[in-house]
Amino acid sequence: MADQIVLRNVTKIFTTKTLGDITAVDNFNINVHEGECFSFLGPSGCGKSTTLRMIAGFEDLTAGEIELCGKLVSSSSKKLYIPPEERGLGMVFQAFAVWPHLTVFDNVAFPLSIKRVNKTEIRQRVAEALKHTSLTGLEDVYPGELSGGQQQRIALARAIVTNPKVMLLDEPLSNLDPKLRETMRFEIKALQKKFGFTIIFVTHDQSEAMAISDRMMVCDMGKIMQIDTPENLYNHPNSRFVHNFLGESTFIKVTVKGGKVYPKGSNQELKINIPKGVTGDMVVATRPNEIELTTSSEEGFRTHIEKRIFLTDRTEYLVPVGEQMVKIQTPHRIRFNAQDECYVKFIEPIWYPVDDEKTEAERNKRQLI
Amino acid sequence: MKLFKQNNNLAALDGGRRFSLDKALTITTFVLLIIIVLIPIFMIIFNTFFVKATTGRWSLDLSMFKTQLTDTKNLSAMWNTVKIAFFTTIVGTIAGVFYAWLLGRSDIPAKGLMRALFNIPYMFPPFLGAMAWDMLLNGRGGYFNKFLMNLLHLESAPLNINSIWGIVFVEVSYYFPFVFMQVVAALEKMDPTLEECARIAGAKQSTVIWRITLPLTKPAISAGALLILTTSLAHFGVPSIIGYSQGIYTLPTRIYAVIYNAGGSFEGIRQGAALSVLLVAVVSAALILQNKILSSGSYDIIKGKSTRPTLIKLRGAKYPLLVFCVITLLVIVVVPLVMIVLVSFLKAYGLPLKLENFSLIQYTRVFKGGGTIDSIKNSLFASITAGVVCMLLGTLVAYVVQKIKPKNKGALEFMSMLPYAIPGTVLSIGVILAWQGSILNINLYNTIWIIIVAYLARYLSFSMKTSSAALLQVSSSLEEAARACGASHTESLSDITLPLIRPAMVSGFFLIFLPAMREVTTSILLYGPKTRTLGVQIYGLRDAGMIPQAAALATVAIGIIIILNTLVNYIVKDRKGV
Amino acid sequence: MAEVRFENITATYGKKTILKDFSLTVNSNEILCLVGPSGCGKTTLVRCLLGLMKPESGKITVGDRVLFDAKKRINIPAEKRNIGIVFQDYAVWPHMTVLENVSYPLKKRRVPKGEIKERAMKALELVHMTTYANHLPMQLSGGQQQRVAIARALVVDSDILVMDEPITNLDAKLREEMLLEIRLIQSRLKSTVLYITHDQQSALQLCDKMAIMEPNGSLCQYGTDEDIILHPANKFTFEFIGVSNMIPVTCKGEKICLDCGVDYKLDVELPKGTTFAEKSVMGVRMNDVVFDEKSDVKAQVVSKVFLGSEYNYFIKLGHKVIRVQQSMLDAKLSGVPEDGATVGIRFVNPRFYDAKEEHSEAV
Repeated sequence: MADQIVLRNVTKIFTTKTLGDITAVDNFNINVHEGECFSFLGPSGCGKSTTLRMIAGFEDLTAGEIELCGKLVSSSSKKLYIPPEERGLGMVFQAFAVWPHLTVFDNVAFPLSIKRVNKTEIRQRVAEALKHTSLTGLEDVYPGELSGGQQQRIALARAIVTNPKVMLLDEPLSNLDPKLRETMRFEIKALQKKFGFTIIFVTHDQSEAMAISDRMMVCDMGKIMQIDTPENLYNHPNSRFVHNFLGESTFIKVTVKGGKVYPKGSNQELKINIPKGVTGDMVVATRPNEIELTTSSEEGFRTHIEKRIFLTDRTEYLVPVGEQMVKIQTPHRIRFNAQDECYVKFIEPIWYPVDDEKTEAERNKRQLI
Repeated sequence: MKLFKQNNNLAALDGGRRFSLDKALTITTFVLLIIIVLIPIFMIIFNTFFVKATTGRWSLDLSMFKTQLTDTKNLSAMWNTVKIAFFTTIVGTIAGVFYAWLLGRSDIPAKGLMRALFNIPYMFPPFLGAMAWDMLLNGRGGYFNKFLMNLLHLESAPLNINSIWGIVFVEVSYYFPFVFMQVVAALEKMDPTLEECARIAGAKQSTVIWRITLPLTKPAISAGALLILTTSLAHFGVPSIIGYSQGIYTLPTRIYAVIYNAGGSFEGIRQGAALSVLLVAVVSAALILQNKILSSGSYDIIKGKSTRPTLIKLRGAKYPLLVFCVITLLVIVVVPLVMIVLVSFLKAYGLPLKLENFSLIQYTRVFKGGGTIDSIKNSLFASITAGVVCMLLGTLVAYVVQKIKPKNKGALEFMSMLPYAIPGTVLSIGVILAWQGSILNINLYNTIWIIIVAYLARYLSFSMKTSSAALLQVSSSLEEAARACGASHTESLSDITLPLIRPAMVSGFFLIFLPAMREVTTSILLYGPKTRTLGVQIYGLRDAGMIPQAAALATVAIGIIIILNTLVNYIVKDRKGV
Repeated sequence: MAEVRFENITATYGKKTILKDFSLTVNSNEILCLVGPSGCGKTTLVRCLLGLMKPESGKITVGDRVLFDAKKRINIPAEKRNIGIVFQDYAVWPHMTVLENVSYPLKKRRVPKGEIKERAMKALELVHMTTYANHLPMQLSGGQQQRVAIARALVVDSDILVMDEPITNLDAKLREEMLLEIRLIQSRLKSTVLYITHDQQSALQLCDKMAIMEPNGSLCQYGTDEDIILHPANKFTFEFIGVSNMIPVTCKGEKICLDCGVDYKLDVELPKGTTFAEKSVMGVRMNDVVFDEKSDVKAQVVSKVFLGSEYNYFIKLGHKVIRVQQSMLDAKLSGVPEDGATVGIRFVNPRFYDAKEEHSEAV
C-alpha cells in the first residue's frame, strides 16, 4: 500500500511569553498508508492536535516537511506552505463546527458551492451525502434545532461531500454521550468502507482509538512513544506510559533483594520470575484480568478480599498487596466474599524501572499551550 | 430531551418563610417599576391626547397632535432626525465591524493597547466632541478652516461641520464603539473551528469572512446597530451644538426649543409631549424594521472551547492598516481633546492658538462665575444617587426575574427594558408630566430629585442587565448547598449570592454613574435654576457664547471622567479574584 | 447515622407528576445507590429530602425524626434538616477559601470558634486536602473541588450524606479514584449514604444496596448488586444494567424460534412456569452470546473490535445486528473469528419479555 500521508522530521516549537519555548511536536516521523485508519492517541498537551493542525495547514512547521498524496504541502526548509483550502481534505471537529446560520442543506452544499459545481449536481451530491449520514428529510432545518449526534452527522456529510482522499477527525466523538459515541464510531467505519478514504483520528480515549484504528501512534509530551497495531500496543507496550495509557493497568512497587521480590510495605515474597540483572526498587506491571485469584497457597501471594464488585460480565475484587490496593477481574464463577483469605498470582508481568515517570510540572506547563 | 427542566426555585412549593420573602420582593419590584417606568410613559400618551377642560373633566383632544404633525418645522426636524440616524447607523456599523475584525481576527500589532484606545470614544461625552469639532471646522471661522484658508489662500472655509453630514460624522465617531465592542466580544466567543472548517471546505480567507464570519456575528452587529440607531434618534447634544447655528433641527432639539420658548408653561410641555409621541413612533418603526431584518434565521453564536483562533495574516497591508487605525484614533480622540484643552487656555475665543495668548484666566472665571461648583456637586449627587439606587433596584429586578421567576416575569423584564428603547428626551417629558404635582400632589419640578427619577428610568436596564448576567452564573446549587449547611434563605442570600454578584453590581453602578456624570440629553429639560448639572452648565456657557469658559469646564469634566474611569478599572481588577 | 425512610411520596412540578406514591428506605450505615435514567425523578426525590421542594403527600423520616409529613403538616425547613449534600457541579462557594467553605456549616450551627478550625481541618484531612486549606476553589481542579464539597458535607455529623451525581463531571481515571475514596471514607465513618446516579457502572462499584427507578418515576427494583444482575425484575432493569441484545422471537408450539428473517429454532428451556406470549423478545447480555461451532444458529461477523481486555463483535443474525463480547480468556480458548466469517452462536441465560413492551427504546 502506498503512503498517503508522510511526516518527515516534523517539529513545532511554540514561543510563549511566560513559559519560554515549548516543543509541542518533537521530530515526528509518520507514514500513513492509503485507506488506513490511523489514530493519534495521547493525553492533552501531547502534541496530537498540533500535528493534525499542521497536516490540515492551520499551523506552519518549525522544521521538517509533510507530504499529502505524494505532493509536498508543507516544508520549512523550502518555505513551502499550501493553504488549507487547497489541500483537498475532509475534516470534522470536536465542537461539530456546523454553521448555525445555514440550513443542513446549505451546510453540506457549502464546499461544492465554493468549487462552483453546478446546481443540479450539488443537489444530487448533497442528497447522497445526507443519505449516507441518515439525515435525509432534514435539509431545510437549521442545525441549532438538532441534537449533538445529528450535528456531528452534518459535519460528516459536509466532509464527505467533496469525496476527499484524506479525512482528518479531531476528537469528533468527545462531545457525544457514550451510547451515541459507539454508534457514530461504527458509522464512521462504514463510511470509510464505502468511500475508501484514509482517516487520521485524534483522540485521548484509548478504548475509542483501539476500537477504530488499524494502526495508532501513542504520544506523550511532544514525543512519539510507539506506533503499532492496537493488539501489539496493548500486549507489547515499550514503556510504562504506553502500558498505563492503554487499558487498565496495575503497577506494583517492589523491591528485589537477594533474588526475591517483595511488594512495598510487605515482608511476604511475591513469587514471580526476575529478569536477569534486575535488583533494587522496580515496578511490576500487570492488568486486572492477568492476575489469578485462588484459594491455593501454591506460588500465590497471601492476602484477603477487601471489596467485591459485582458487574454484569465479571466480578471485580479489590485486594491489598503490600500497601497497595490491586484490582482483579474474574469471571462470575470465581467467588469470594469480602474479608475471605485468598492468594493472588501474577501472570507474566512486565518490569519497568521506577523513575520512568516524567515530572508533573512539565506536563502542567504543556497543558497551557 | 429532558423530561422536565430542573427549576431553580419552586417558590410556591418551598417552606413557609421563603414564600413570604419572595413574594414581598416580587411585589416591591412590580410597584417600583410601575412608578419609575410605566407612569411617565403613560403620562406622555395621556397628555398628548387628552385635555382637562375648565370643568375639571378630561376629554379626548387630537388637535394638539394634529397641529404638531402638520407643522413644517416639525416635519423637517423629523426628516433630519431620520436622515442623521440612518446614516450614523450605517457608517457607524461599518466602521465598528471593520475595526472589530481588524483587532479581533487579524495579526495587526499592539492589539491590547489599540483595543483599550478604541474604547475611549465610548467614554468621551459626544457633545464635548461636537464642541471641539465646532471649534475646528465651524463654517465661519473654525481654527482648522482658518488654517486651511491661510495655507491654500482660499476665500471661504473649505470644510463645514455645521451640516447634517457634520452631525453624522461626529455621532459616528462616538457611537461606532457600540458595534465595535459587541462584535469584538462575539468574535472572541465564536468557535474558531467554524471558520477553519470553511477553509478545509475550500474557501479562501476572504470568502470565509463574507460567508461565515460576518453572518455569524450578525446578531451582535444588529444589536450594536440598534443601539446606535436609538441613541442617535434621541440624541440632543451633538445636533444642538452643531446644527443650531444653521437652523438644523432634529426632534430632540425641537422638543427642547418648544419647551424652552414656552418658558415652562404647561402648553409648551404638552407640545413637547406630542412631539415625543412622534419621536417614539419613529423609534418604534426603527425597532420593527430591525426585527424584520433579524428574524430571518434565528441562532445563537455557538460558544467553543477557547482555542486560539488562527489570526489572519495581513502581510503587506499590516502596517498601512496600523497607520490607518492610529490616524482614526488621532482624529476621533486626540484632536478634539487637544482642541478643547487648547481653547480652554485662550484669553478670548478667536485668538490664534499661540503661546502668548494662553492663560489660566478662563478657569478662574468659570469657577468664580455662578453655578459651576454647584453644577459639579449636583452632577455628582445625582449620578451617585441614581447609580446606587439603580444598582440595588436593578439587582432586585434581576433576582426576581432570574431566581424567583414569578408567573408574570415577562412583564417585569419588559418594563425594565422599556426605557432602553425610549429616547431620553421623551422620558424627561414623561417625568415632568408625572412629577410636577399631577400625581398625589408630589411636585419634584425644579428639584434635583426630578433629574434623579429620570436617571433611574433611563439607566435601570443597565444595572439590571449586568446583575442578571451575574445571577445566571450563580448556579442554584450554591444557594441550596448553603441551605443544607444550615443557612436560612436570607442567610444564604447574604452569605453566598450577594457576595458573588457584588462585582457585577459595582460595575453596574459605574455603568450608570459615568454616563450620568456627563449626561445632557435628559437634564437639559429638567434642570431648574439651582439644579444645573455639569452637562447643562457646559452647554449653557457655550450657548451664552463663553466658549473658552465652556472649554475650561469641559477640560475639568474630562479630567473627572478619566480619574473615575481609572478608578473603576483599578477596582474591577482588584476584584478579579472573586 | 440513621435510617432514612420515604413513605408514599408524591411530588409534582406544575401539572406534571414526577413521583407517585414513592417509597424507599436507606438502611443505616449503608450506601444505597439510586439509579435511573436522567429525568426519572431522582433529583426531585433528593430535593424533597433536602427540603428544597415540598411533596404533595407522603412522609420523610430520618431515624425517629420526621422531616416532612403532609398529613400532620410538618415541613422542617432546609437549614434545619441536618443532611450533608454533595452536588454534581461541586457547588463550592467560589468567594470563600477551602477552609472557609468547610467551616461554614459549623459557623451556622454556632460551634465555638476554636473548635471550628479544628473540626474543619479534620474533615479536610479525611479527603487529603489540608495543604489546600487557604486556596480559593478556582485554583483547584474539579476533583479537588469535589473533595472540598465532600469535606463540607462531612464536617457536621449529618444524619445522612446525599451525593447527587458527584463524579459525573470528572474524567474517567479520576472517577474511579473518587469512587474508591468515597467507599473508604464511608467504611471508616460508617455513614448512611444516598448516592444518586444515572450510571449503573459506578453504582455497581459502590453500592451496598441498589434501587432502580424507571423513567416514569416508579421504583422497579431494590436489592443487592447480585440480585439486580442475576434476577432483574423486569425488562427495564435488564436493559438498563449492562449492554443487552433484544431479539424478537415467536412461539411455534413447544419450540421457540428466532424472528429475525431467518427461522432458527432455539435450544433453550423455558424457565419454569413462564407463560409465553406469542410475540416476545429475548434478551441476552452481550457476554452471554457464546461462539459455538456446534450450534445450529449461524451468524456472520460484521466487524471485530479489539478493546484490550476483550473483543467486541457486531454480528449479523438474519437481518438483525447483535453485539457479542468475548473475554481474552475465551478468545484464547475458542479463537478469534475474522470479519466476514460465519460463526455458530449459543445464547446463555436468555430472558423472555412480552414484545408489547418494546417501545421503550427505538434503535
